[in-house]
Amino acid sequence: MATTTNSLQVPGIEIQPPPISSSHHHPQQKHQEKNDTTSTLSATGSSTGTTRTTTRARTFSLSSLVGKTRRAYSVSSAYPPKMIHPSLVPASLKPQENTLSVDNDVWFHAKHVTPAQRRNSVAAAHRKYEDFQQKMEEAPMFILVSTYLNYFVLILFGHLRDILGKVFKRSEYAHLRTNQGYAPLVSDFDSFYTRRMYMRIRDCWNRPITGVPTRITAILERVSDDFNKTFRLTGRKIDAINFASYNYLGFAQAEGPCADAVEETVRDYGVSGGSTRAECGSLDIHREAERKVARFVGKEDACIVSMGFATNSTTIPALVGKGCLIISDELNHSSIIFGARLSGASIRVFKHNNMGDLRNLLREVISQGQPRTHRPWKKIMIIVEGLYSMEGSVVNLPELIKLKREFKFYLYVDEAHSIGALGEHGGGVCDFYGINPKHVDILMGTFTKSFGAAGGYIAGDKVVIDHLRLKNHSFCYAETMTPPVTQQVLASLGIMRGEDGTENGRNRIRQLADNAHYFAARLREMGFIVYGDEGSPVVPLLLFNPAKISAFSREMLKRGVAICVVGYPATPIISSRARFCVSAAHTREDLDHALKLISEVGDLLMLKFKKAQ
Amino acid sequence: MDPSVHLDDEHAVFINSTVNSVYELINAIPGSHLVLSYVKNAYQDDPFRIILELFLVFFALKYMLSKKYKPQDNAVKLTEKEIDDLVEEWKPEPLVPPLSSFDKLNLEKAPLIIGAQSVKPKVAGHAKPLMNLASTNYLELQASERIRQKAIDTLKVYGVGSCGPPGFYGTIDVHMDLERDIAQFLGTEEAIIYAQGFSTISSVIPAFSKRGDLLVVDDGVSFSVQKGVQISRSNVRYFKHNDMQDLERVLDDIRVDDMHKRKLTRRFIVTEGLSANFGDIAPLAKLIELKRKFKYRLILDESQSIGVLGARGAGLTDLFNIDAKEVDMIVGSMSNALCASGGFCAGNTQIVDHQRLSGSAYCFSASIPAMLAVSASEALKYIQEKPQILCDLADRSRSFRQVLSHKSLENLIELSGSDVYSPSPFFHIRVNPAFLRSRGRDDISREDEERLLQDVVDECSAQGVLITRAKYVYDQERKCPRPSIKIYVTIGLTKKENDKAAGVVKSAIVKVFGKWKK
Repeated sequence: MATTTNSLQVPGIEIQPPPISSSHHHPQQKHQEKNDTTSTLSATGSSTGTTRTTTRARTFSLSSLVGKTRRAYSVSSAYPPKMIHPSLVPASLKPQENTLSVDNDVWFHAKHVTPAQRRNSVAAAHRKYEDFQQKMEEAPMFILVSTYLNYFVLILFGHLRDILGKVFKRSEYAHLRTNQGYAPLVSDFDSFYTRRMYMRIRDCWNRPITGVPTRITAILERVSDDFNKTFRLTGRKIDAINFASYNYLGFAQAEGPCADAVEETVRDYGVSGGSTRAECGSLDIHREAERKVARFVGKEDACIVSMGFATNSTTIPALVGKGCLIISDELNHSSIIFGARLSGASIRVFKHNNMGDLRNLLREVISQGQPRTHRPWKKIMIIVEGLYSMEGSVVNLPELIKLKREFKFYLYVDEAHSIGALGEHGGGVCDFYGINPKHVDILMGTFTKSFGAAGGYIAGDKVVIDHLRLKNHSFCYAETMTPPVTQQVLASLGIMRGEDGTENGRNRIRQLADNAHYFAARLREMGFIVYGDEGSPVVPLLLFNPAKISAFSREMLKRGVAICVVGYPATPIISSRARFCVSAAHTREDLDHALKLISEVGDLLMLKFKKAQ
Repeated sequence: MDPSVHLDDEHAVFINSTVNSVYELINAIPGSHLVLSYVKNAYQDDPFRIILELFLVFFALKYMLSKKYKPQDNAVKLTEKEIDDLVEEWKPEPLVPPLSSFDKLNLEKAPLIIGAQSVKPKVAGHAKPLMNLASTNYLELQASERIRQKAIDTLKVYGVGSCGPPGFYGTIDVHMDLERDIAQFLGTEEAIIYAQGFSTISSVIPAFSKRGDLLVVDDGVSFSVQKGVQISRSNVRYFKHNDMQDLERVLDDIRVDDMHKRKLTRRFIVTEGLSANFGDIAPLAKLIELKRKFKYRLILDESQSIGVLGARGAGLTDLFNIDAKEVDMIVGSMSNALCASGGFCAGNTQIVDHQRLSGSAYCFSASIPAMLAVSASEALKYIQEKPQILCDLADRSRSFRQVLSHKSLENLIELSGSDVYSPSPFFHIRVNPAFLRSRGRDDISREDEERLLQDVVDECSAQGVLITRAKYVYDQERKCPRPSIKIYVTIGLTKKENDKAAGVVKSAIVKVFGKWKK
């Protein structure tokens, strides 16, 4: 009861800071929880009660080993979110219809958070990331054992084949040897995983398609005559329900208002921007897109970059450098890691979405200062993603913002997947929780996903964006966003904001939320282990055994469903998964049909680890 | 266990009984006597073994109970209160520093084009369209109706975005077509396309060169190459820009250093075909000779040269008539001369295949929009059909340089790549150091020089010609080139217009430099 009332203040932070006593009380309590769980986890009792400088669990101990492998399962422990008892909700916050005007881009000025935002915030406050019981329930022991065994056999056979092959088929292994004084391009050891595991199931990736990647996509059938070394197109096309493309709002369209606008732009502007932004490639439509994006996400200004990956990798070095510290979530995207490494700043990592761990880490790094010299850090920047595309988990933003108050770090949120896809207005994680975007220093996002375009944006205060216009590598050296792509951004953004005077955009956002809820809930009902927070349009379904990665992908394709499967190294070695990206373009029939097929394959591959409800 | 606890009788009895009951328990297991007798026999008369094994057990325990080793751990133990205080006291610097007046000038002076990028674009603040010498629209592909139509046709079948990385159903058939087109155009086995020109090379280098490998890098390479070199964390040696003697010296040094090393590491020479910073061309024949002699692989960045150099426009290999297969990796951009977007890396099958899993900008980013891929394909086709446009371009570039090489400018400026007959379609104008010296003190800063050049740019745009200073992120360049005005010629301007523009630039330089006082 006490915790519930306490967490009810969470959404209030955007109106006024909570009383100091409560803000102190809460982290303390969080910390207590953290200590409890660590002592449960590590039987060796390594948790030091008094000094909070992190003594992390040692790697050797069996219990921490189990904890480590299990940690991967803990992301969805917020699910199902605890509901607030209706009597606790103040009258002013009771569901009110039409409290928000249709003019969507002012959602962040609204006085009250909506019921959904409130519910999300409460769920965030209740999240526990080291909930051991939850994990035990989710992962049956025999699956763990069989998965490790599976890898063991694969590695054994891989080495056996390598040894025999190097003796009997010397010519086929020539590329792994020193050849005429050249070292091999890829070393034997480094490429073992690729050669011996990935190669077996390579047909599940890089499948070529044709046409628009919308609810149905046409996959070009290919076969391999040499065990996946090379592929040959057969010329046939397979129409499949598309759960693979990040087409969250269904803007991947070859016709309709967006395509018309883009066509017009190509006729007027041509295809290219012709230079860099800093030299002479700034077009009027770039500026317009920047203004609109800034308004949409609730920041003073924004700048756009021609590639999503580069948005992170070329911006982060412009913000932090030597003597600064980047604290990054352990599951952050490769582009963030790339940018962080380029920046020359120190990098520390905290456990995925685990605010307890982050808090401990912050206390450690701020009190210790820079390594060796102990000088205070110049800046600390925390980089998180809004929606993690491999886990389907939504960042715990309310807690992060509380921490930000206390520790004065800068917050960089990568909304590559969440912009457009989360929140009632498509405004991303801030909208999802009802938090004013002014609390986040840098909002980064991409146009590849929800907008059906390409590239990305950085939004922030005017002074920050002006600095980036001068120092961001992409602005000085890379091509500008091409006019047709910029126009696609403008057009889809206009629809999302309801500028066209229709309910089209709103309907898409609503449809996506409905589809995502429905799809994940049905999968859970069937007994699959599904990660992800409520409302996430990315729905990962756990496969565990490496052999099931390919089996699931192939069986689904046979039945006409296109899905992504992911294994090590993109996920922890144990938790291979299939990933469904739900789209607003999917109809209920599509989902039902696909669910039926998934259930069928799930039975076939014995993937329903829990009892069906 | 706490050693200070005394063992009294009760404890002894307890331990005794426990040991006895454990012994009985073991005895109860069928076949256990075999094990016990083996253990007894094994330790009989073998004190050394007992000592050894006890030592091992002790060591294992010590290892398990020891603290985790952290390299360079010099953490100070602090009390809770101290940590609280430190957290309270810590004040971060502002996220970004305030803009200086020079920063403001840079922001203000970046031209904003109203409407389409073209040879005569409308620029904000100017009533009339300006003649454009600041865009990479060398071959006037920007205005090509044919490419526009092709892009629109593609739009109507494929939409705009590809909505996924190539690994996850983001490989569209037009991407595979473009890869084939590029490979054919260059004459390599295969090619792989990336979604942004800038990110291509900075992703290609770390895909192959890892920690412990060796990169021998030209010290005048462009920023994207520098970033690729930086992120690979390989060992790096630099040689003087396009100086083959120096390269040979460095390679020879390394050979001598490596004599005693047993393990052979991967070694690469990294350089730029047509240098973005200096506008000169790498001597490819000599490079290939050296790479062969010293057993290096060559990574050649042709971002600037693809589509403009050589009789077919296929870059350096075309210009020097060398088989493209001799160069291990040709990296290029489709956003410069081809007026599309994205980049590529061409090489043999092994090199390309490796990147499909290890090229981070390929693997982790959405693939290039279909309509841009098709535009690039179409641009390649266009250049192959009309190779004479390349001669026209070289012509324009030559006559422009000739105007600026005039005697009256000799003391004021220097052109990068002194060769007037260089086929490079762009060049840098830098202030002649002698001019700076003649104007008094030696402490003329980079900013002063930039402001001087900006005045030239402003004067030109007042006279109807759009040019630009070369822009750099000064503090992040390894060795930032001196300030310059970068002129891109284009066949979009007629011969006459081209000469006129050159005249405008020339007189602007004379006028502004004449008035300049430190």
